[in-house]
Amino acid sequence: MRRLVGYSKFTRYLLALGLALVLLGPAVCWGEVLKVSQPNQSLYPDPDFASPPVGPVPEGAEVNVERQAGDWYKVEYQGKTGWLNRQAFPPPATSSKFSLGGLLTGAPVKQTSSDEVALAGKGFTPEVESGYRAKHPEMNFAQVDRIESLRVDSATLQAFIQEGDLKP
Amino acid sequence: MRRLACLVLLAAAPLLIGGCAAMAVAPIAAIAYKGASKATEAARPITDSEEYYVGRAVAARILGKYKLDQNPKLTQYVNEVGETVARKSSRPNPFRGYHFAVLDTQEVNAFACPGGIIFITRGLIQTCNSEDQLAAVLAHEVGHVANKDGINSISQARWTEVWTAMGKEAVTMYGGSVAAGLVSLFEGSIDDVFKTIVVNGYSRQAEETADAAALTELTKAGYDPSAMVALLTALEAKGKGASSGIFKTHPPTSERLARVKTSVGQSPAESQGEKIRTERFKKMAS
Repeated sequence: MRRLVGYSKFTRYLLALGLALVLLGPAVCWGEVLKVSQPNQSLYPDPDFASPPVGPVPEGAEVNVERQAGDWYKVEYQGKTGWLNRQAFPPPATSSKFSLGGLLTGAPVKQTSSDEVALAGKGFTPEVESGYRAKHPEMNFAQVDRIESLRVDSATLQAFIQEGDLKP
Repeated sequence: MRRLACLVLLAAAPLLIGGCAAMAVAPIAAIAYKGASKATEAARPITDSEEYYVGRAVAARILGKYKLDQNPKLTQYVNEVGETVARKSSRPNPFRGYHFAVLDTQEVNAFACPGGIIFITRGLIQTCNSEDQLAAVLAHEVGHVANKDGINSISQARWTEVWTAMGKEAVTMYGGSVAAGLVSLFEGSIDDVFKTIVVNGYSRQAEETADAAALTELTKAGYDPSAMVALLTALEAKGKGASSGIFKTHPPTSERLARVKTSVGQSPAESQGEKIRTERFKKMAS
């Protein structure tokens, strides 16, 4: 460590920046525009489903990604900023890109089954549901979608609660 | 040292220059999943989103057995009552919220699918005499969702297999067909949950906990918790000699009634609010 003292601040800064980039890889890309591929998505004020949603984000909407924290993305959509869960987005595309980070950290070099591994890592997902639906065309998922599309908006619920002398 | 810094920067250059460009080609979601390709995702509880997808499939399966009621006003009303109690539960906001639906059958029953889809039959709505009693049914079902009773009915052995399938080793194990393996495990999980909620029923303890949760939700929402006593009394009368529907999947109503009675005090005189609620219930349920 003493040897670093002899170098300029700028050199040390460049060294730290370079090492960080090599080790972490492209974790986040600010300004990315991403298309929501799942229905019934909402923007949340915090990266937490328990917080009351800021508003809905329809399927097909394009959002600007500001940053990522775990399974959540901070995004901007129609002037509103909030958090979207990763479930809103499509599964990763097959990638056979050279990965420097992987090379340095010993990530698997064999890529042929990367999709399978990624899919397995996610457990039960929309893709697994699709497989199940293909296997069971008799299941009525259209009606399930219909049930899920009905939402009591907050003004209606407040009026209902008030009329019945209930607690908000 | 300066040479070393240059070398490191040179190595990082493709990331600096090409990082965002590469991202424009591969969706950013790929980044989100980069942690998922770990060799083995450690044994973990089922996530809220996984519970949601299991719940959707269980709901689809229930809709294969029962017809969905087509009265939008009644469905809207049941959703309003359901939301009123759900927001007072210990789990007010599951992955994609609660959704309530009516099944067009005279069978007396209600089902809580994992993740928040709740069904009530027309037969059970007609057994209720007031909105407070309907709220008691829905609060009980919300209690099952909040306690994750449905998802917990997936057999431990099956979930252990799911964990295994979520590891990289699964590629070898399933001969490169992890997707098919997961679909099959998903299918088995749906069977486990469906069998529990439609055929066998939850454990006695799960029912007791759901009843207790319902009393709390009712009180917090401003409904009369003694409506639960009235409802169970009506169910007990209706269930004499019956061995299907709710009477098959729930502990004896007399036991539930005795327990709930000890938790609920004297029923208060009917308030103006309760009168309004009962009126609107009768208008909807008729």
